[in-house]
Amino acid sequence: MSPCAHRWVMTNVRHGYLVVEGCFQCGARSSYFSAEAVAPVEEYQEGKHFWIHLGSSQAVKFDLTCRECGKTVSLDDMTALMLSTCTNPSCAVADLARQGGPSTWVYVALCGDSSHATGRCVSPEGIRALNEYFNQNLKPSSKSIVVVPCELCCGIDKCQGIIIADTGLTDFYAGEAAKAPHRPGGKK
Amino acid sequence: MKISELAAKTGLTSVNAFTDKEVDGVYISDMVSDIITGAKPNGILVTLQTHKSLIAAANLVDVAVIVIVKGKAPAEDVVALANKAGIALFVSSDDAWTYARKLSDLGLK
Repeated sequence: MSPCAHRWVMTNVRHGYLVVEGCFQCGARSSYFSAEAVAPVEEYQEGKHFWIHLGSSQAVKFDLTCRECGKTVSLDDMTALMLSTCTNPSCAVADLARQGGPSTWVYVALCGDSSHATGRCVSPEGIRALNEYFNQNLKPSSKSIVVVPCELCCGIDKCQGIIIADTGLTDFYAGEAAKAPHRPGGKK
Repeated sequence: MKISELAAKTGLTSVNAFTDKEVDGVYISDMVSDIITGAKPNGILVTLQTHKSLIAAANLVDVAVIVIVKGKAPAEDVVALANKAGIALFVSSDDAWTYARKLSDLGLK
């Protein structure tokens, strides 16, 4: 464990789109961050999946760097943050919020593989850094922020929350995207 | 500057009950995803945005005051979430530029 009591700052802030896709054959969901000027909307095949565009929102990505020791934690595996409002009695995230009481705010770090078919989620190191970053300036008595990986959610279609992304703004570009030259595949 | 002083000097209309604490620093953005990268703890956020995700973002970075410009009124569920988060909500009839000038004239940055 590092001896540094990290003081994190946001670095490598990138503006772009949170693009959500679904496989029309197996129902899998996938999301990724695109830094392109216009959100990709193409349908394409990737292995056994046939991805179709479900929606996109303007979003940001960032990393965290400690200004004391210079360590950088990449958050490339996180696509967005979501304030949990889930009340499902069998949801681990909702349970954390219940246990924490009214001054505890649980945010879910969403990864790209919403169905977790790959077995991966946002890294424990990333989750630890996010928790330290969002709590480092809070007065201990006021409130606490708890960030958890989305693999704790009760399910992509069941777990409720408010995603911090700008849904709807990309609708302005829907016409332009349709006219844009074809790009094979959306994910980078 | 105290929140009540800010409200009186810049002509704000209060939307919810608030704790009259000191605030400092200003950030202006209409994108909720941008708010978490720029707004500062205990600061003032000026926005045209009224979606509930505004409160989710502002709470994450511990914003103290949200000023919604151009007289837009937030919905009841937005106000309820702001109450839970302890965020003071105000409405200004000014546009963002005019309101920003008022803040600047008060020495707030």
